[in-house]
Order: sequence, then structure tokens, then C-alpha cells
Amino acid sequence: MNGSIPSPRNGKLTIGPVLFNWKPEVWRDFYFRLADEAPVETVHLGEVVCSKRRPFFAPHLAEVTERLSAAGKEVVLSSLALVMSERERDAMRALAADAGDRLVEANDLAIAADLAGRPHVIGPFVNVYNEGTLAYLAGRGAWRICLPAELPATTLAVLAAQALAEIEVQAFGRLPLALSARCYHARSHNLHKDGCQYVCGRDPDGMPVDTMDGKPFLTVNGTQTMSCRYVNLLGELAGLRGMGIDRFRLWPQDCDMVAVARLFRDTLDGRLDAPEASARLADLMPGTEFANGYVHGREGHAFVAEGLGLS
Amino acid sequence: MSNPRTERSRPVDPPFSPILLAGMALGPVPPRFLQPLFDAILAVVRRRHPDILDRLTAYPDAVIGIDPVDLPFVLLLEPKPDRPRLTVYRDFADLPVTAVIRGPLAMLIALGEGRLDGDAVFFSRQLVIEGDTEVIVALRNAVDGAGIDMEADFAATVGPLARPLLQAARVGGWLFRRLADDMALVRQALVGPALKSADAQAARLNELEGEIVTLRRSLRQREQRT
Amino acid sequence: MTGLSRPVELVCPAGTPAALRAAVDAGADSVYLGFRDETNARNFPGLNFSRDELATGLAYAHERGTKVFVAINTFPRAGAPELWHKAVDDAARLKVDAVIMADLGLCDYTARHHPELRLHLSVQASASSAEAIRFYHEAFGIRRAILPRVLMVPEIADLSARVPVEMEVFIFGGLCVMAEGRCSLSSYATGKSPNMNGACSPASHVRYTEKGDKVVSQLGEFTINTFGAGEPAGYPTLCKGRFEANGRLSYLFEEPTSLNTLSILPQLIAAGVTSFKIEGRQRGRAYVTNVVKAFRLAVDAISRGETPPDIDLDGITEGGRQTSGAYERSWQ
Repeated sequence: MNGSIPSPRNGKLTIGPVLFNWKPEVWRDFYFRLADEAPVETVHLGEVVCSKRRPFFAPHLAEVTERLSAAGKEVVLSSLALVMSERERDAMRALAADAGDRLVEANDLAIAADLAGRPHVIGPFVNVYNEGTLAYLAGRGAWRICLPAELPATTLAVLAAQALAEIEVQAFGRLPLALSARCYHARSHNLHKDGCQYVCGRDPDGMPVDTMDGKPFLTVNGTQTMSCRYVNLLGELAGLRGMGIDRFRLWPQDCDMVAVARLFRDTLDGRLDAPEASARLADLMPGTEFANGYVHGREGHAFVAEGLGLS
Repeated sequence: MSNPRTERSRPVDPPFSPILLAGMALGPVPPRFLQPLFDAILAVVRRRHPDILDRLTAYPDAVIGIDPVDLPFVLLLEPKPDRPRLTVYRDFADLPVTAVIRGPLAMLIALGEGRLDGDAVFFSRQLVIEGDTEVIVALRNAVDGAGIDMEADFAATVGPLARPLLQAARVGGWLFRRLADDMALVRQALVGPALKSADAQAARLNELEGEIVTLRRSLRQREQRT
Repeated sequence: MTGLSRPVELVCPAGTPAALRAAVDAGADSVYLGFRDETNARNFPGLNFSRDELATGLAYAHERGTKVFVAINTFPRAGAPELWHKAVDDAARLKVDAVIMADLGLCDYTARHHPELRLHLSVQASASSAEAIRFYHEAFGIRRAILPRVLMVPEIADLSARVPVEMEVFIFGGLCVMAEGRCSLSSYATGKSPNMNGACSPASHVRYTEKGDKVVSQLGEFTINTFGAGEPAGYPTLCKGRFEANGRLSYLFEEPTSLNTLSILPQLIAAGVTSFKIEGRQRGRAYVTNVVKAFRLAVDAISRGETPPDIDLDGITEGGRQTSGAYERSWQ
């Protein structure tokens, strides 16, 4: 199912689905450039956050899929993370039915029944916290599992050691932290979700949320709440590889994602050391703050400089 | 974890009540004369409600300050499982408290008996907590879960004298409530007008403060743009 | 309005044995509770039940015809599932009326080891569609689903036609604004996860500081709110704080408010809901008594075909404010 990709031995890279509401042509060109230039094995497509956004990029879906496949990338179709309405349920059923031989990523158990018995991916919005759940899902055909953001390295190690499914860890970008039925983007503009005027499209990297005393804290992306800080696990890649974790997810942000992917690829391949790669990452996006606390068993917003101690 | 500020920087305003007057009368009494009373109370708690201390075993080193704002003394609760202590002091000065709970005595007792909802009085700002919130929450849950009934505890403690004493206490309680209501009325008449003008001034101050924040923010945005 | 053919079950919270007795005495049909450890989502200091306390509480409740459910609704820690397995085994041994859970692996364990034990799907599973609920029913035989607080009344009605299980909804108490069980805001700020450690915005990371006549509430390093003199305060639950976004300071996610569905109970019943759940295992006996009594009156009135009385619960709600939440479209 994989294309012929260089250096899989050193770990694989996935570009997660675009979580923001980007202009359709920006969305299309982003994926075209990934197809042409990004040293990644897998690319996810699909709307995860708000079903109202899908019609915008849907016309470009076929050409983007084709271009990525032609470039040897594995294309995975991501499902919605919070399925509620009848329209959304129908869309999920259709997604599972029409995927053909492409992998589908389940981000809500609403689509799980439709995927049972065939290879599929479990996304980070499904709660996989322990070996019992991992074994259960693997037994139903889950082939790869991207784990929730908040898991510490001790848990990642236990899950990777089960060797029941390929384990993927979120390694770059704003962390998805919460989902809601309510749209905070609309709310911040005094609008209702039904008449939202798609104001989320004005913030291609999300809307900053500061505390009352002016400290950057969170980011709002429509009905989703994300971290303000970008997670950066460049310094933890070696430690995670040592646990048997071979795949890392980079979340698309409003920045040069090809350059980001190259830094991760070069670090995995040993062409760059982690501190140098992190310094270059910071140069790519001045003013951005980074975090890696979760994997160290700390607050998600924390940054721990030491890398992962392998005890 | 830093120690809370323990000075009475902004105590809850004591309500004008019979307790306040009683407290004034107690003012000259040195706290150590009151200590036997609190030793007795702790002994009753240990005998009749061991589950309270049982639920606090996770906090053996906690020092909880209890401040009945209408009385001229404070209490220190140390829930050490083997040697719990409830000590009375004049104030918290120089005492190593990890958390403080402040409120009028009648409210603290009502909380202890589960007649009042702790969250509700806290939300309404009649109760103030400072310092290690976790310890206070644990104490609240432990006390609430014990199902304390002061009358029954009292009866169990004083034995055969309980019946007449309880009856006297009930009459006393009725008198107390009458007195409290009357005093609330007097207080309203005396300080009502002054409070009203103070409220107006506070509102004006808040308004000004808000304007300053807005100005600062727009200044910051202007700086960022240039 | 006509009388009901089937009774609605009133499911009430108990954080302590005293609260359990209060709930039973106030007219609860069922009481739900948790063990005193991280196996349940209200793992608060000084709260919850030992095995012995559960046994005593069960006897008290069963003698009075009240059922007892045990919530084992956090997600077991990888490499150490024994604590959660033991909780399930003990609940089964003590013959509780149902266990409430969310984790797939734990549901699987329970279905395999205790097939006779009644399973309720916790709100923490965030099963918001018929497909998701059917999945749990077919896989583990869940008999009841507690619906996430993201659904509107018409969506609930639609669900009831499509799922082969009983439906329970929250009718009063602290309202999650986010999809339950899928929220890492608290762990982002404090390192403690509701899913793993069983407490959102844990008290261990909460600080209240008096500044002049204001109170500042903080969670970890982050200021969540400031209350002026006389302004009703709130617990610094992260999603009910005041934040600045889009150039405006506001309760961006939700006001400090309590869910209160008293006015829409008949619609919820008409939508097919068969049990009503009151939130608040962390609240005291006074809260339990007041709220359970109020909703007992309301449910009894509805079952007699009467309009439920208008009951004032302002005094015990957070911020003194109430909302019917996502059940009504205007909330979204």
C-alpha cells in the first residue's frame, strides 16, 4: 500500500489533513506543492472540523488526489471528528463506501462500523489510551493509529510495544485540543453558527486567544480549539524511534510546510542534528512559540529542552 | 507552591450580627482560654466522624486556616492522621498555613452541617478561599460527606443532660435568629445610604479602570503596527 | 399534555455516602457514584466511595428501591489497566445495577468477563450519532447511552428512532461546552487530563488571589477570570473563563453558567429520552437535596400530565446563571 519512498527505514512522515478553512485555490496549491516537493510518505485529505467547509475544496479533491498519487504519496481520506447531523452521517457513510482501495481515517466512531474488517486508520480524535483499546481496534482492521496529543512517552512506549498496528505521533503544528457543537469563530464575531459567514476563513492559522493579562494561550478554528504553541518533537524523534514509533504527523500550518517536512526528514535521516533543526524551524516562523510538554508527561504548553530520557 | 497571603488584606466584611457582638465581648479573652473548647470539638469529630480525617489522609502536612470573620480569633486545622490538631490563635501572623477559608461563623457552621452548598456560597462571594485550593476542596468534601448534625453530636457528647440542654438550645436558637434579623434591619437602616454612595463610586472606578485597559490595549496594537 | 405511559428515571449524583442518602431520601430513582481513585471522571480530593462505603450505600439504596450505578469512565492507563479492571470486578461482585464507562478496551473487558453486568455508555464516550451508539451496542451490548451535551432536541428525537438502547441526557448542572471525553484543554494548561486523571481544571492547579477588591482566578500559569467586588465568582473551569479574541474580552467559550432544562423537560421526553441525569457528584449534600427534590416534583408533575412547576434554582447555580445549552439551536 506504500509508494516507493526513500528512507522509510528511518521513520515515515505524514502530513495531516488541513484543519483550517483555507481558500480553495490555496488549499489546492498547497497539496500540489506537497506532491512535487515534500519528502513525506503520506498525505491526508478531507474536512475534519466543520462539515460546512467541505463544498469549497471538494471540486479540487480529484485533481489533488491524482497529483499526490502520481508523485508516489499514499493518500488517506480523513473523516469528520464530530458527527452529529443526518447530513454528516450520510457524508461519512458515503466516504467509507466511495473510498475504494484508499485508506480512510476514522476520527469518530460513527464511521467505524462502516470500516470494520478492512484496513483503515484511526485518527487522533478517537480515544486510544491503552493496550485494551488498541487491541480491540486492531482486531477490527485498524492498521495504523495516530494517537491523541496528550499521551506521555510512557504510554506511547507501551502502545508501540504491542506491535498490533502502526503507531503515529503528532510531531509538528498546533495541537487539536477540543471540539464543540458551538462555533467560537462565529461567536467572537457575534454571529450564530448557522449564519457564520465563514469568518473562520479570515484566519488561515486560526484565531489567537489570549488570557485577560495578555498572555497567548489558545487558538480557535471554528468549532475546534487548538494550542497557541506549535508542538515540535524534533528533539524527541530519536527517543520515539527507539521505542519503535516509526511515523510522525505534521499538521499543516500557514507556513512553508515543505521546508518543515525537510527539517523532519533530514533529522530522521541523520543529516541534521535536532538542536540545529529546531533552530532552523524557529527561523522559518519568527515569533512562534513551541511546546513538547505532553510527551514528557507535563503540561501540553510546556517546553522541555532535554529530549526524551530513555529509561 | 507559595504560601497564601495570610494578613487580613481584604477579609469578608463581618455581618452585623449577634455573633459579631459576642465576638467583641470575647475580644479581651486570650485565645488559650478558648483552647479546651476546640480540643473537645476535635475529640467529638474524631470519635463520631472518623471518616472526615480518613478523607484527608492525602494531606498529612496541610495546615488549614479557618477564619470566622466575625470572631476575634482564628483556627488552625492540622489533619495529621495520627495526631490531628485544632488550635486557636489571635490571627495567622507568622503561621505556616497552606490554605485559608474565611467567612461568617454562622455560614461556616451551616457548611459543616451540609445545610449550605459550598460552591454556591463561594460563587456568591460570601466565602473566600486562599492558598492551596485542593486542600480546601478536600476538607469541604470530607466534612460534607460526614453528615454532621451538631445537635446529635452535642447530645451524644453530653449524655443524660442532652434533652433539657437541647431544648434550651432550641429556644436560644430561636432568640438568636430573631436577634439576627432585627440587627440586619438596624444595619440596613444605619449603613444603607452610605453603602449606596460607595457602590456608585465603585462603579465609576470600575468604569475608569476599564477605559484604561482599553487605552493600553490600543496603544499596544498601535506600537505593534509601527 | 397527556400523562406518560412509561416513567422517566431520575438519575442523581452522589460524591459521598451522605450525598447518596440525601439523593435517595429526596426521591432519586437511581444514584450514580465513583470509587475514590482515578477510575472515574470526578476524581476530586476528599470525594467518592471506598468499597465498604459502596456496599453500605448499595444496601441503603436497594432497601428503598433506588438503583446504584458506578461510573468507571476514565480511560485506563497504558501498562496499568488493573486498577480499572478491579473496579469493574468489584462493582460486579457487589452487585451494582450498572456500570458507566467510555473506554473501548474497558467495555470489551467488561463484556467478556461480566456479561451479566449492565453497561451504560458514559457521556465521556461522546457518542453523538446513531452509528456510534449502535457500534457500542453491537460490540459490547450497552443498554443505555448517556448522550453528549452537543445534541439539539430534534437530533435527540431522530436518534431515538435509530438506536436500540435507552437514552439518558443531562438535565441540570455543570455544562461541558466541548465534546466530552475529547477535550485536552485542562491537560494543556495543567498537565492533568480529565480522561486519564479524572478531573477537569483540578483544584491542585487552581489559585484564587485577592487583588484589591477583585479576585483573580488562575489555572496553572493562566489567568482564567477576574471578578469585581460583588460580582458572582466562578470556579476557573477553563472553558468558562474570560479571554481576549478578535480584539474583544469575553466569555469566548461559555459564560459561567449551569445547565437547566426545567422548561424543556416535556420536549426531551417527547424526543424519546427515558432517563434524566443531574450533574454534580462534586457538589455537597445541600445541592443534591435541593436539585433532586426540585426535579422529582417536576418529573412527577409531568407524569401526571401537568405542566412542571417553575422552581427557582438560581441560588445553587454557578454565576447565578442558567442555560438550556446545546439542546436549543440558539446556543450553537
